Amino acid sequence: MTASTPAGLAHGVGSQHDLPISPFYAYAGAFTALFVSFLALGLLWSTSRFHGDRTGLPLPAPLQRLADARATRTALRGLGLAAALFVALHLLFGPDDPDRNPAPGAVYVLFWVGLVPASLLLGPVWRLLNPLRAAYALACRAVRRDPAAAYRPLPARLGLWPAALGLFFFTWLELAAPEPASTTTLLTFLAVYAVLQLAAAARHGDQWFARGDAFEAYSTLLARLSPLGRRGDGRLVLRNPLHGLDATEPAPGLVATVCVMLGSTAYDGFSDSPSWITTLQTSTLGRTPTATLGLLGAVALVAALYCLCAGAARAISGQLPHPLTSFAHSLVPIALGYLVAHYFTLFVTEGPRTVIVASGTDNAVPPEPPLGPGGLATLQVVAIVTGHILGVIAAHDRSVRLFPPARAVAGQLPLLALMIMYTLGGLGLLLA
Amino acid sequence: MTTSPPRARPALAHSALARSARRTVLPLTAVLLLIGAVAGCGGRPTTHHKPGTSHEEAEGPVGELLDTRDESGHRYRQVPRKGAPEVKLTARPDSHDGWNLQLSVRNFRFTPDSVGGGALHGTGHAHLYVDGRKTARLYARWHHLPSRLVAKGTREVTVRLYADDHTPWAVKGKPIESTAKLTENAASQDTGPADQTVKIALADGKVSPAPGRVDVKKGQRVRLKVTSDRDDTLHVHGYDRQAPLRAGETTTLTFTADRTGLFEVETHDAKLVLTQLAVR
Repeated sequence: MTASTPAGLAHGVGSQHDLPISPFYAYAGAFTALFVSFLALGLLWSTSRFHGDRTGLPLPAPLQRLADARATRTALRGLGLAAALFVALHLLFGPDDPDRNPAPGAVYVLFWVGLVPASLLLGPVWRLLNPLRAAYALACRAVRRDPAAAYRPLPARLGLWPAALGLFFFTWLELAAPEPASTTTLLTFLAVYAVLQLAAAARHGDQWFARGDAFEAYSTLLARLSPLGRRGDGRLVLRNPLHGLDATEPAPGLVATVCVMLGSTAYDGFSDSPSWITTLQTSTLGRTPTATLGLLGAVALVAALYCLCAGAARAISGQLPHPLTSFAHSLVPIALGYLVAHYFTLFVTEGPRTVIVASGTDNAVPPEPPLGPGGLATLQVVAIVTGHILGVIAAHDRSVRLFPPARAVAGQLPLLALMIMYTLGGLGLLLA
Repeated sequence: MTTSPPRARPALAHSALARSARRTVLPLTAVLLLIGAVAGCGGRPTTHHKPGTSHEEAEGPVGELLDTRDESGHRYRQVPRKGAPEVKLTARPDSHDGWNLQLSVRNFRFTPDSVGGGALHGTGHAHLYVDGRKTARLYARWHHLPSRLVAKGTREVTVRLYADDHTPWAVKGKPIESTAKLTENAASQDTGPADQTVKIALADGKVSPAPGRVDVKKGQRVRLKVTSDRDDTLHVHGYDRQAPLRAGETTTLTFTADRTGLFEVETHDAKLVLTQLAVR
């Protein structure tokens, strides 16, 4: 990175952070969250209502044919590959300066943050665009090999663990690496990531990507909350996002993935606070190790709280074969609330700026944020509280399904407490 | 008024003529024209041979020399108001350092390559005065005035038009000049009021006071005074303001906080966050 463009400590790109919200918004949010939580306990249904991937309003057949058409799929593959080439060429030959090179913004903002709204609106889009899949398919065609063929079947117990690990390393790169926006850092990460993914795909076949590719797993997980989904029978449907969420596959590593999502976003919020900045700058360990410990700590704290509460739920209910994964899906909306609250401004200011830089303008000024401090605070609190409410509802439905009726209310108390902790924590981070 | 180099015009005229001669394919005409051109431009070369001026003007007296003298003893050269040179000066703060000065002139051309020769009507150069002190001679319509040439508290700059023989052009006993006010900018940090002043010291990679938050209302002027024990660059994110930090010296950076958000004030090389500005 050149001397004229330092990256902030917290973000790979972006020169602006969100203002701390005023306590009024935080208290209003906290009160709503608590109120809704206890209301839910008393008023929500007592038999499970969510049907996972068995419901939904089918889309018209022509739309489905268009979406499933080979041409559409090929075009999307080509699009993903072209975008990846664009980024790679800019990283290789562009200036090492995020003010003049669109690649860092394309990776951290358009791709990483943009994956959230894209998956939320359109479903698991990264599966369709993933350039690694395209590269793998092309390589297989070159050596006349069936892409689905595997030397070794994918072990089921691996589940989403590779994705959790990949997500952790990517967020580490963004939030704790010394030069997150430098072209060398990004090139190294992307090259290592691509080589590992392609090697794993060569070993396990192309089914590897769905769970092993961190970004596909991330996009798929967020797409659980998309109104656009695919029913079990393959039909494209419009559905209640809560049904989609209910269909989340309880794979091993799901908890870890969700905890990385929550923990890294929480660390990002926390790393803006002056006290943490002072800790980083005065730590005898050095800045990067301290930031790494901070990020690990945030993820570990989120995970520890979850395990504690899942254990308590099991103890109260007396019977729960998989206490950890049974409720992990209910954390996805909470993580989504965190993501919206923390990355909205970055996306709407740095996203357009990246596009302007990509179109050839140097030193583009990011547009003014569309929301004033009050509007932004409202959006952030609403996002976190909405995530909380959806999480509570999802967890409630799951508990009345899993627990015997007599213990259903008591059994979900630990989870309710956990969600309240996460939500108050999230609101607290907005205050910091 | 043209800014093209004085020698360029005859060359252009000759080539245009040559082209038209080729087009008409009349060698005789071309020869005749050539003879005409040589006759027009011939004779003893002088310093004041300018396109658009005749030799009579160059050799005859231009205007009337007054007894009034400028600060270096040159007599004013008065010309009638009608057709007299005019100048208007505007000074705009530069985004990095000092000011950009623009001289809008009428009936006047800058003639840097004949300075020192005789006075010719409507030609010459300009002198730049910063608060009455002569600072530079100007040969063009744009000039950058670096802040190091401007003493603290300076309020105005003046340009005055001079003939090649260093006599100031004058109309009705007054020199032809224009004055502009220097508005506050990044270069004149220490003048003008500020709503918030933040003092920060850097020593051994330690920031004191420890990084905190400064609450600023949108539109307020913020002044940062940073003392560093090593050379570095001060950078305000979001506003993209920069200032060099020199070891042992205090650098002052003043700007208007016109964008809401939380912005970090940082040093480039050491990558230390000095403080955060919370602009609402």
